[in-house]
Amino acid sequence: MLRKAISPRFLRSPACLLLVLPLAACDGRQSVLNAAGQDSRQLLYLFIVMLAGAVVLWLGLNGLFLYVTRLRPQALKIHNVNWFLFGAGVLFPSVVIGALLAWGLSIMPAQRAAGDGLRIAVHAEEWWWRVEYWPKGATTPIVSANEIRFPAGSRSELHLSADTYIHSLWIPALGGKMDMIPGRTTVLTLHPDLEGFYRGQCAELCGASHALMAFQAVVMAPDDFARWLKDQAASAPPPTSPAATRGEALFRDEGCGACHTVRGTEFVGAVGPDLTHFASRGTLGAGNWQPTAENLMAWIAHADDLKPDVAMPAYDWLDPDQLADLAAYLKGLT
Amino acid sequence: MAQRSLPPTDREDEDELRDESLSLWRIAFSPIIWAAHFLLCYAGAAIWCARVGPTQGTAFLRLSVLALTLIALGLIGWVGWRALQQWRPEASTADRLHHPENRHHFLGHAAVLLSLISVVGVIYVALPALFIGTCQ
Repeated sequence: MLRKAISPRFLRSPACLLLVLPLAACDGRQSVLNAAGQDSRQLLYLFIVMLAGAVVLWLGLNGLFLYVTRLRPQALKIHNVNWFLFGAGVLFPSVVIGALLAWGLSIMPAQRAAGDGLRIAVHAEEWWWRVEYWPKGATTPIVSANEIRFPAGSRSELHLSADTYIHSLWIPALGGKMDMIPGRTTVLTLHPDLEGFYRGQCAELCGASHALMAFQAVVMAPDDFARWLKDQAASAPPPTSPAATRGEALFRDEGCGACHTVRGTEFVGAVGPDLTHFASRGTLGAGNWQPTAENLMAWIAHADDLKPDVAMPAYDWLDPDQLADLAAYLKGLT
Repeated sequence: MAQRSLPPTDREDEDELRDESLSLWRIAFSPIIWAAHFLLCYAGAAIWCARVGPTQGTAFLRLSVLALTLIALGLIGWVGWRALQQWRPEASTADRLHHPENRHHFLGHAAVLLSLISVVGVIYVALPALFIGTCQ
């Protein structure tokens, strides 16, 4: 029956494609409709009220149009028309827009409210995220990259800055956007309350790999978060397998440590992402690929093919065994 | 300067233009007040927040915006009231603009409408100061 109802011609038409496109937004990990925090819930509420209001206005406008053109198509008194135009065309929109503006402005201070203790400094690079956790009273940060974790049920402050270009941090499931501007610090505070894995994305066109500048956001129970943060503060575990040991030697010989830090080792480069606990993160290449051994090998050999204009050179002279050893070393950095 | 002799109709136009110059100015008054209010509020807020906002708070800034808004609304109200008297909606017929008197009324009408939109604009510009408590 379904095959009868939907003709093959329709299935091949551009209209069908337009119907299917919005389905891509149904993945809840990066959706404003999947609100998982106080701030995003407030924005979702604002959106639903405005959507409902727009539907009512649309129906009312078309109802009036139907009324004057079909139901009672007759000349109206100019006096009544003038008052109607003033009331419905000037007064009503001014009051409605004024009320919406006032409501929108009134919820803005909450999204900049002071945090409950945890400060997370995020610095946008080309095209990845340098992340520093500053728990209450900390004098040195706990450094990570390309993943931001939050404790559920409290308000965390995000202090945002950027390296060369303007970027924008957006975790749709948790709250609104905030621009990241070179030379300035902007502040966004978020109060997530549902534990889970979400996706953040750069929301300001910043260059060749703008679309590939993403990250995973994780909301954890407060106890789990405290434990995780303690683990993140520790040095990297030493390699435990022969492959990983060979990988560490390659990491040294190929000069990887000139750009990447692995705390507890001689590798202290600060150009690229900190890899101390790389294997504890859920993604590779700033939110884009699963961190499997195969993907790691492809990334090391051809980073610039996967991510245009990336600063990391392609190590395409390494043979598959060497790439596998490097991947084993990185997979051991838990 | 030698008095030029103009054909009667041109001379009438020139006389009318002289008489109407205030009306022409009156059209522009309300939007100019709106623009000045906008510039003073935004430039003032930017300078305040860049220089002293983080330490001194925003109370003085918000009160200043309130004062500027009251002044702007008062001035626009006065201009609008004068324009309303010039318009005299009960005597106007906008379809006969070749009469100087109707042109005079029409300029008042336009000034009233511009005053109305300027009032809305000034209130919208001032609204953020009502809600935003910090410079962040």
